[in-house]
Amino acid sequence: MSQDADVHAVAPEMAVAFFRDILPFNGLDDATLNDLARHCRVDFYPKGTRLLTAGETEITHLFLIQRGGVKAFIEDDQGEITLKDFRGEGAYIGALGIIRGTLANLNIETVEDTFCFLLPREIFLKLVEEKPSFAHYYLKSFSEKIVKTAYRELRHHKLSKRSGDDLYLFSVKVGDLVKTLRKVSGADSIQEAASLMTEFRVGCLLVHDSADEHNIVGIVTDRDLRSKVVAAGLNYSLPVMEIMSGPVQTVLSQALCFDVLLKMMSTSIHHLAVERRGQIIGVVTSHDIMLLQGHSPYYLFKEIRGQQKIVGLYSLAQKIPEVIRGLIKEGAKAGNITQMIAILNDHILERMLTLLEQDLGPPPLPYCWLLMGSEGRREQTFKTDQDNAILYADPADDTEKETAEIYFKEFAARAIDHLVNCGYPLCPGEIMATNPKWCQPLSVWKGYFANWIGAPDPAELLNATIFFDFRSGFGDASLARELRKHLNHEAQKKDIFLFHLARQCMSTRVPLSFFKSFIVDKDGAHKNQLDIKRQGLTPFVNFARVLALKHGINETNTLARLKALFDADFISRDIWASTNDAYELQMQQRLIHQLRQIEEGTLPDNHINPEQLSELDRRMLKDAFTVIERLYSVLDKMYPTA
Amino acid sequence: MFDFFKPGSWFSNPAPQLQKNKEFFLEFDQGRPLAEYSFVVCDTELTGLNRKKDELISIGALRITDLQIDLSSMFHHFIQPRDLAHTEATLVHRITPEQLEGAEPIEEILPKFVEYIHGSLLVGHNLPLDMHFLNKAARKVMGGTLSNPGIDTMRMAQGYKRVRLGHYHEHNPREISYNLDDLGREYGLPVFKPHDALEDALQTAYLFLYFIKKFRKGGLVTLKDIFQSGRVGSF
Repeated sequence: MSQDADVHAVAPEMAVAFFRDILPFNGLDDATLNDLARHCRVDFYPKGTRLLTAGETEITHLFLIQRGGVKAFIEDDQGEITLKDFRGEGAYIGALGIIRGTLANLNIETVEDTFCFLLPREIFLKLVEEKPSFAHYYLKSFSEKIVKTAYRELRHHKLSKRSGDDLYLFSVKVGDLVKTLRKVSGADSIQEAASLMTEFRVGCLLVHDSADEHNIVGIVTDRDLRSKVVAAGLNYSLPVMEIMSGPVQTVLSQALCFDVLLKMMSTSIHHLAVERRGQIIGVVTSHDIMLLQGHSPYYLFKEIRGQQKIVGLYSLAQKIPEVIRGLIKEGAKAGNITQMIAILNDHILERMLTLLEQDLGPPPLPYCWLLMGSEGRREQTFKTDQDNAILYADPADDTEKETAEIYFKEFAARAIDHLVNCGYPLCPGEIMATNPKWCQPLSVWKGYFANWIGAPDPAELLNATIFFDFRSGFGDASLARELRKHLNHEAQKKDIFLFHLARQCMSTRVPLSFFKSFIVDKDGAHKNQLDIKRQGLTPFVNFARVLALKHGINETNTLARLKALFDADFISRDIWASTNDAYELQMQQRLIHQLRQIEEGTLPDNHINPEQLSELDRRMLKDAFTVIERLYSVLDKMYPTA
Repeated sequence: MFDFFKPGSWFSNPAPQLQKNKEFFLEFDQGRPLAEYSFVVCDTELTGLNRKKDELISIGALRITDLQIDLSSMFHHFIQPRDLAHTEATLVHRITPEQLEGAEPIEEILPKFVEYIHGSLLVGHNLPLDMHFLNKAARKVMGGTLSNPGIDTMRMAQGYKRVRLGHYHEHNPREISYNLDDLGREYGLPVFKPHDALEDALQTAYLFLYFIKKFRKGGLVTLKDIFQSGRVGSF
């Protein structure tokens, strides 16, 4: 039907008036409001009408309630209904689904006779795209809850499904695993304890004070009986107190199995007492957690620890992505995941170098295998170039010096080779222990840092930053600690160095232009790809490094540095919280991106294709990037150019 | 075109827009689901209520498709009456003589309106009154009448109340108001400015949506079903 031009010219005053009264439309100018109103339709839904069904309805328009009201609820498999929300006049329905490009995430049903304005999806998205305040309004009201949903979406929708690999690490609390508390008095004999263990069929007993049975003073395990008693020929009638380990390490009953596992893996203590309201209620063992599921990080961890040949580590290292994949699916946040990756990589390294020492004979001098860059910060993802070095104790004389050089040269060459076979690529910048420059005694290392700090050449500093994130990976950690002490001492004396570091940090442009448009090149390639590591994460890493050096904070992990800075009151809670969230979000995006590449059989990289991002992903990334600008202004105030 | 030259056909043949519309509704199927029809809800404002003397001074109309009000193509025109002096109703309408003086005459507006309602069912509150004046004007300026079937929301309201209150319920029919604004308030609809053709058309549209969707729960799903409740006799 032909339509007269006049026909369109009529502005529906009541719709304009409606929009003018509600957030966030009230901020729009009249011309925009008129245009919006003309694109709307009005529908009526009698009381009890289902508007949206979670997981089924595709949302084609934003509903704005003109009159009436709706309830939002979810329904589980058993038909159990949980009411989430009531929404009345002026409220909207469906914004999140439209922005994220997903099906409805809630059931919506009218609880009164309801009239709605229907704003077409495309028009709404255009508004969100063009009006920053608009996008902000919806994203803000999505709240923590919704962001969590987004994380869940990220995990479930972006990773292909595999059956039978459900993990419970993040849902089960250790309190649920604890069995009956079995204990013995410290004054009882070793033999009595052993017969109790046999009777109860348990591998350990808690030991209590002989005068107070509620006072747990230690723990005795099968291994103690074996190594401290039988192997040592100890008298069985001695009190069990003699062989127990105490005081006992405890965890809270509400701790997640994941956290407990981390604790066990990092301390190598496999029996932990579980505490509830100040009372020990039992013991949780690594075995209990392993039973929870077959394919766990702990399982891999144990295999690594038990490996007797270096070549056996090759295949184990390749299993790490599979384990990490399970963790992401189970709901681990990026911070947990990188921590787990670091622990597993550390164990591979530890096992490898231990076996290597056995092959080559003991080192002539104490040494420390240093990890640099992302490894030093415990922020590796799947693509981890080797960044390592050897730091050894200062030789007493030339002979010792020569012996050390020969030994560590050979040691480094073999280690790097094995690491490559485990799947850790060589460092293109040759920051590896095989480079003679990075295999040096403590005094030389101190000299390097003094030099970088004392006479900062901006170009050289750029390459040196990753050294400032070193940590001990294996060996004599006291050497690394001494170097760190020296570094902190030097850095705090030289403001000019921190100035250069801060200025360098600010030279990375905030990649907000990434969002302006997704231009496709003439040849079809995307010129607008985001390097999430270099453009997104590095500014946060740099910021945390500058401030950590300025304030002598020993941590190397970015989130830990930020926390330490906040705890010591060097940054505000606001800066800390938003920085923490923004950083973790990007880490998560990066991990998922790389995990997917691994699953597709391609090499993981840091280049995120905008087309793979949902609208919400983009919004959240954009918000994360705006935090960078705030960090820059903090640095700018601290180290002004003028 | 040929009709134009036929002797005697010049006055008796209606304008092509009316012809086209008539042909459309000759083969009109009333049995399809409601959502498949296009409705035009309209309201007119008049110089007065004298069926012989008074004229149209404004037409407001909007479309309902998919059983939703389409705000993108509303129709609203003032009409310059032949007798500008005779505008006693302007106080009610708040239409000023200046607005009417600047408006186009019915000869311009009506063909646009006929074009606008082509293929649609007409909906109005007390529609026969509007139809009387529309057809009077159509005969005069376009040589024919409108063929669009009509639905009167006032009749629907009566039907709805009958269903709700029951046939045998004792009540005094005079106590029930079928005034558009009163009905809107009674059913809790958004309320519009009365006595503006477009606003009244909107109010009527809301009422119409309310009825058909409430009726639909009672099993009235085709146009025929609805017709029984709000049908306006042939014009």
